[in-house]
Amino acid sequence: MQQPMLVLKNNTKRESGRKVQLSNIKAAKTISDIIRTCLGPKAMLKMLMDPMGGIVMTNDGNAILREIQVQHPAAKSMIEISRTQDEEVGDGTTSVIILAGELLKVAEPFLVDNMHPTVIIAAYRQALEDAVSMMRNEVAKPVDTDNREEMVKIIKSSLGTKFMKGWNDLACGIALDAVKCVRINDQSAGGYNEIDIKRYAKVEKVPGGSIEMSEILDGVMFNKDVTHTGMKRRIENPRIVMLDCNLEYKKGESQTNMEFMQETDFRKILQLEENYIKDICDDIIALKPDLVLTEKGVSDLAQHFLLKAGITAVRRLRKSDMNRVARAVGGQIVHRTEELKDSDVGTECGLFEVKKFGDEYFTFLTKCKNPKACTILLRGASKDVLMEVERNLLDAMNVARNVMIDPFLVPGGGAVEAAVAHRLIEKSKEIQGVGQWPYRALAEALRIIPKTLMQNCGVNTIRTMTNLTAKHATTGSTWGVDGETGNIVDMEEFGVWDTLQVKSQVFKTAIETAILLLRIDDIVSGVKKQSDIDAEKMAGKFQAANPQEGPEE
Amino acid sequence: MTTTQSISLFGEREKGESVRTQNMTAAVAIANIVKSSLGPVGLDKMLVDEVGDVTVTNDGATILKLLEVEHPAAKVLCELAQLQDEEVGDGTTSVVIIAAELLRAANELIKMKVHPTTIINGYKLACKESVKFIQDNLSVPAADLGKNCLANVAKTSMSSKIIGSDKDFFSNIVVQCAELIRFTNTRGEQKCPIKTINILKAHGKSVRESQMIKGYALNCTVASQLMPKSIKNAKIACIDFSLQKSKMKLGVQVVVDDPEKLDAIRQRESDITKEKIQLILNSGANVILTTGGIDDMCLKYFVDAGALAVRRCKKEDLKRIARATGAALVASLSNLEGEESFEPSFLGAADEICQTRICDDELIIIKGTKAKPAASIILRGANDIYVDEMDRSVHDSLCAVKRVIESKAVVPGGGCVEAALSIYLENFATSLGSREQLAIAEFAQAMLVIPKTLVVNAAKDSTELVAKLRAFHNASQTIEAKRAFKWIGLDLENGKCRDNKDAGVLEPAMSKIKSLKFATEAAITILRIDDMIKIYQPSKEDPNSYANAVREGRM
Repeated sequence: MQQPMLVLKNNTKRESGRKVQLSNIKAAKTISDIIRTCLGPKAMLKMLMDPMGGIVMTNDGNAILREIQVQHPAAKSMIEISRTQDEEVGDGTTSVIILAGELLKVAEPFLVDNMHPTVIIAAYRQALEDAVSMMRNEVAKPVDTDNREEMVKIIKSSLGTKFMKGWNDLACGIALDAVKCVRINDQSAGGYNEIDIKRYAKVEKVPGGSIEMSEILDGVMFNKDVTHTGMKRRIENPRIVMLDCNLEYKKGESQTNMEFMQETDFRKILQLEENYIKDICDDIIALKPDLVLTEKGVSDLAQHFLLKAGITAVRRLRKSDMNRVARAVGGQIVHRTEELKDSDVGTECGLFEVKKFGDEYFTFLTKCKNPKACTILLRGASKDVLMEVERNLLDAMNVARNVMIDPFLVPGGGAVEAAVAHRLIEKSKEIQGVGQWPYRALAEALRIIPKTLMQNCGVNTIRTMTNLTAKHATTGSTWGVDGETGNIVDMEEFGVWDTLQVKSQVFKTAIETAILLLRIDDIVSGVKKQSDIDAEKMAGKFQAANPQEGPEE
Repeated sequence: MTTTQSISLFGEREKGESVRTQNMTAAVAIANIVKSSLGPVGLDKMLVDEVGDVTVTNDGATILKLLEVEHPAAKVLCELAQLQDEEVGDGTTSVVIIAAELLRAANELIKMKVHPTTIINGYKLACKESVKFIQDNLSVPAADLGKNCLANVAKTSMSSKIIGSDKDFFSNIVVQCAELIRFTNTRGEQKCPIKTINILKAHGKSVRESQMIKGYALNCTVASQLMPKSIKNAKIACIDFSLQKSKMKLGVQVVVDDPEKLDAIRQRESDITKEKIQLILNSGANVILTTGGIDDMCLKYFVDAGALAVRRCKKEDLKRIARATGAALVASLSNLEGEESFEPSFLGAADEICQTRICDDELIIIKGTKAKPAASIILRGANDIYVDEMDRSVHDSLCAVKRVIESKAVVPGGGCVEAALSIYLENFATSLGSREQLAIAEFAQAMLVIPKTLVVNAAKDSTELVAKLRAFHNASQTIEAKRAFKWIGLDLENGKCRDNKDAGVLEPAMSKIKSLKFATEAAITILRIDDMIKIYQPSKEDPNSYANAVREGRM
């Protein structure tokens, strides 16, 4: 009677029902399998090659997944969560993926048994609430953030799985000092607590030397040299003027033309330009600084004036560097030289020095009295190694920050997961109705973390896991896996701790992602792009707007 | 008379039954796509676009918006969902399902040789009767149900969504927001401008850590890191121009005779902005929000004055802030006398402004706005896809709550209204002696598609449950003593019938009425079609295009 008719566009593909749910679960599992070996102290690095031919060496879950190209939409959303975790707390990116994969895996049998996804979801949600509150109220213990030894221990357990393991003490010290340095706890502004690592703790990587030579500076450092070779390269207790304007003649913004009638005018204008530079240099010299830093350029003439006054100048600093300098040495960044005041001069720096590493010059502003910004100087064999070290340090700093903001700890090495799993299973017995099974399954799924730790160090998983479960049932909730040997140890004595913030975020993100993926029963691909829709909307509005304009006119 | 091919263009033409069947099939196909997302146990769809970006949603309008629909009749249904979304904001899925069902029923009648116009008349009549019935018998004034009414409406709307398992938590947020911004306008009407609620999305933390802020959250950061991060008793200046080094408009040239003047121009350029800033600061402002940029050179003046300046705010945001704080959005400083001035009356006021870090971003939050209360919701969730869907769900609930506040009437949900209508219309049809009787009876049957779909999605026995439901409503309409049965609807978690008015499953009456009207009208539009002419697109190439010119050797 009629030919097949098209309701949707030809290229639209649609899958629905059970098939979609199962394929989502499979995709999630695949992703989690990729990075499973990256968990724990026996983790191995992965070497990734990007399309441009560059390489990344890392065992950071987020860094790995960022580089992987995936096709399946569910896998994409898995990768997203590792990013979320990274941005929110900066650690635990591997465990969140493993956990989410496992949570979906345990849901599979229920779907096959025709349990409605909404039932599973409700149970998961309930379990999440319970798990988070259990963790905070029963398993976590408070920590004294001023106790250096304890803090170092915490950071160590985060670094234990990473490349920096060999230089644990050094790295922990650096991370802790950096975070302490940039912390601002302003009691006057209602306990405003700011720890901005991204802006104020800069990691500078200088290839060469060895990792032991890395250090944290009590000040800042940047990759610049003095503008004129005759200027001093070492000044003690310098007075520093910070500018973000040019020390050279610059034309006005408006378009200006000049027509000369006589030759004297021409000379006059040249004179003016020189005078202008002299004036601004005089403004600076009047303050008797030893060092001038500017974000813009310094002309030869200005260099000459400054040199004569015995002032060292450094030009073309980055804005972010300048902000750090301002926080480290005190003082203000000034735009117009005629507005310079004595209070704008930074005086808290103890030593200005230009050093040479390799064939590059680096400017150091160190021995600051009360720096609120710092630079971490990393040395190492190659750029790739340095990149990985930097990632590790960032993780470590994030751990330190999290502890300072929310000073609670949970036992590491899979202990907290085992403890929560044990409690959830106990609780599941009180739940009525079908929801009990997924609730219980979620509890079991949490044990994937200690299980993976065991797998990665190659012990008998089943036997050890049973031991661990037994320990949690009988004695205390601090028993976990020693990732090196695979033995069961008391984390209280062993000293591996994680921050509560990271762990609860792992649980939240993983379970919520599982919920999101379980709710899907239909995948339609080849739909319109969002931008096309916006364009259509605009066009529609335009048309709609036009007839209205008519009568008003 | 012979039928000759009268169209000489490239195209095809279809008529009569074949086109009707086609339209119906297309409409049903569209309805089938969204069907499984209806109700508290409905599931979500994952939509993947050409680039591979993923959207997960349960909202009918969003699904249909993203689908690339080819068939013209199907397009009508997509537009229908869009219309419902704009007009009501909620109930987009059900409107599509009803419309498709009406079409299907009509097609059956047409096969029995009932003329489409008769059906159209019947549908129109049925729709009118239904609306009257809902208004007279089924709607409940919101005031009668007490304070929980709004929360229940919000809960019903979000129960089918991704935030369904947290509906207590979110309904609280939604209702609080709506209560905060509702006001009575000069004509004594209740208004609830939900557009002023700013919904911000940030991935991270957990769904339950989403928060409502009594104030306005702005997705910007302070212009300079040297500025204070929080200011109490803020005096806010909202300006709509840049504070940059001023320059002449393009094409204006300055010609100077005296070289000295050149320097004066330069000097003046920087001073003009400085004076502007001084004017603003002198008025007592300590928070400056601008849509334009602020030069680095000008930042220092703000820093010196201890003021907080934010650049590149969205104009939309700034307008709302101006309204909430009582500030004037100043487009220029010049006054009527031709001089520059900035009156303290232009300033808005708020208790506190502070910058906080959420996720990896920083937000500026304006708390305790003086002129009008403002509300913002910050949504948190596992990833961007999740938060986007939360945004849509919260928006739908807000819309539903708004409708209740403004129209003050609710109807019980869970298939209650539809079941009641089907009984009522069937009885009504029998009272009618004309041919429309058939159409109205079909309309009554079509209404049942909503309870049926709800039950099917919940994986329960649809025949049995719907029969039970109808029995209750039949009793309520015939037996005086059992009037209270009219509130009976479905309880999908347990697969039973219950009194949905007491259970708190409520929907805005207006949403139901509108969706019924829209669905009927859309069905009628498609029913009227008996001929479809499709013209092939002429080749789009522009004869004057560059490529053509090269090919033809004109270049």
